[in-house]
Amino acid sequence: MADIFIEKKAVSDIAASDIVETVPSALIVLDRNLNITSANRAFYQTFRTSPGETEGCLIYALGNRQWDIPALRTLLESVIPHRASVEGFEVEHDFPTIGRRTMLVNARKIFSPGDHDGSILLAIEDVSEERAARADSKRNWQLTQSIVDTVRDPLVVLENDMTIVTASKAFLTMFGVTEAETHGRRVSELGQHQWDVPALRHLMEKVLPENKPIESFEIEDNFPGLGRRVFNLNARKISQPGNHAHRMLLVFEDITDRKQRERDALSLTNEISHRIKNNLQVIVGLIAYEAKWTAAPCVQGYKTMQARIGAIAQLYDLISQTSRGRTVAVDAYLREIANAMSASLLGNMSGITIEVKGEPLEIDPDRAVPFGLLVNELATNAIKHAFPHGSGHIMLRVEQIGDQIELVVSDDGVGMKGNDLVKSPEKRGSDYVAIFVRQLGGAIVPSKQEPTGTTVRIRLPLLLVPPGSAEPVAA
Amino acid sequence: MAVILIVEDDVFIREIAEMMIQDWGHQTLAASDVDEALLLLRSAQPIDALFTDIYLKDLVLGGCNLALQAIALRPDLRVLYTTGNTITDKMKALFIEGTRFLGKPYTENQLKKSVTELLAV
Repeated sequence: MADIFIEKKAVSDIAASDIVETVPSALIVLDRNLNITSANRAFYQTFRTSPGETEGCLIYALGNRQWDIPALRTLLESVIPHRASVEGFEVEHDFPTIGRRTMLVNARKIFSPGDHDGSILLAIEDVSEERAARADSKRNWQLTQSIVDTVRDPLVVLENDMTIVTASKAFLTMFGVTEAETHGRRVSELGQHQWDVPALRHLMEKVLPENKPIESFEIEDNFPGLGRRVFNLNARKISQPGNHAHRMLLVFEDITDRKQRERDALSLTNEISHRIKNNLQVIVGLIAYEAKWTAAPCVQGYKTMQARIGAIAQLYDLISQTSRGRTVAVDAYLREIANAMSASLLGNMSGITIEVKGEPLEIDPDRAVPFGLLVNELATNAIKHAFPHGSGHIMLRVEQIGDQIELVVSDDGVGMKGNDLVKSPEKRGSDYVAIFVRQLGGAIVPSKQEPTGTTVRIRLPLLLVPPGSAEPVAA
Repeated sequence: MAVILIVEDDVFIREIAEMMIQDWGHQTLAASDVDEALLLLRSAQPIDALFTDIYLKDLVLGGCNLALQAIALRPDLRVLYTTGNTITDKMKALFIEGTRFLGKPYTENQLKKSVTELLAV
């Protein structure tokens, strides 16, 4: 109860003069002859004047006649006499003391008991900065719009609520819509709802609150008047300095032609791959047929030959999977070789593991096949001969050392005995290794024989593709 | 012993595959395209497994579509796909669940392993 009493007393104690002196707007009271009878502190501060210079002065004569403004004369002499109040009357004027200002004037006739002529209360608010900011914003927006219209890719700017604020000319032209048909609508509502994709909606909802741009979200659909098209959608948050409101820029990149070229290239690659693999299958089939009529001791040789043809076919696949345009990534290539060998030679239950350590180096696809066959030969030898008890570890490592690439294939198996090399299959394997090394212009680094394990170290010339020809091309 | 329908548009590859499979004691039927294969699949001929190339003549996914129709006709049919192409997600999406794949070029041993595993299911 005490609190309520105090509150009521406090409100009733506030005098009108206290309120007048506290409000931020400049207030002046004029008598019927437009002489200033009083003004508040905000008025004196805003217009850099004092009560002595102001009170009793005709408003037009105030401050070296700086208030003799035609618009104010119109308000005071033509509007006020016929109306009890006027709000939001805008006056723009060059004040000698404070410069060019835009003032918002509210006027009200006030009558005291016994005063039939009444007075005029003028509340003057300096809105110069707000108007300047608004004009700046308008100019910036016009500039943005003109930039938006010059961008060739169709784009829209979205409000926080995902409605379209503006659409570029390219957007309107491409999708055959008018500005009125797009403004205030959501992207998902446009056309035949082609953009109404849950995944896109989900991503768009994160652009503004989480500042997460959308990169290359692909949509393929039939568009009226355009036919089947593929678009890449990119979106990002845009902010204007000094403005807390954020908007989203959504760009529609028409990638239909590029996509078609990629599909044509892929189709051609598939066609070539199909022919090559079928031809290799024919060769493998021929060998299989020959093997049927060959004496038993020779059959193993035919089978080895089939396996090597299989390895070439597999490398061909790996090259296309790990190719970055005109180069092949060695690290990824080695990992794929290891995976393929694990799957084909080791199986799930094998105790032999293959580990790959590779620097991110690139090699020419022309050299990738002999390189892959070299790795294949060395690793196959390790799998076949190093682990008579069925378990062990093989390491494939490649690194750049100066202007050379060092390939190391090592295992922790039983080691290579001196007479192994004269046995026929291993001898052939070693011959192949030597041939591939020569083909690649490299050399085997002699390494001392360890009691256990085998390490083969091969130095190859740096097979990096020259920078000029290393630009990725569409697959 | 099983009856295996081999669908392959390359005559040599098809006949070598037939020869290999027959060597293991199975009976083979052969077709060079989807239509020939469907004629056999719609007949009363018993067929245990379908071994089909994916790229059949000019149909890039001909074998995948054939297998879908074959399973509709014979739900218990086992399917082994083969192709020289890289397996794409589109192909994988068309693969019938529980079926097998053998990449080209395949050796006699690899084909034998795949067929044995296929028939053991």
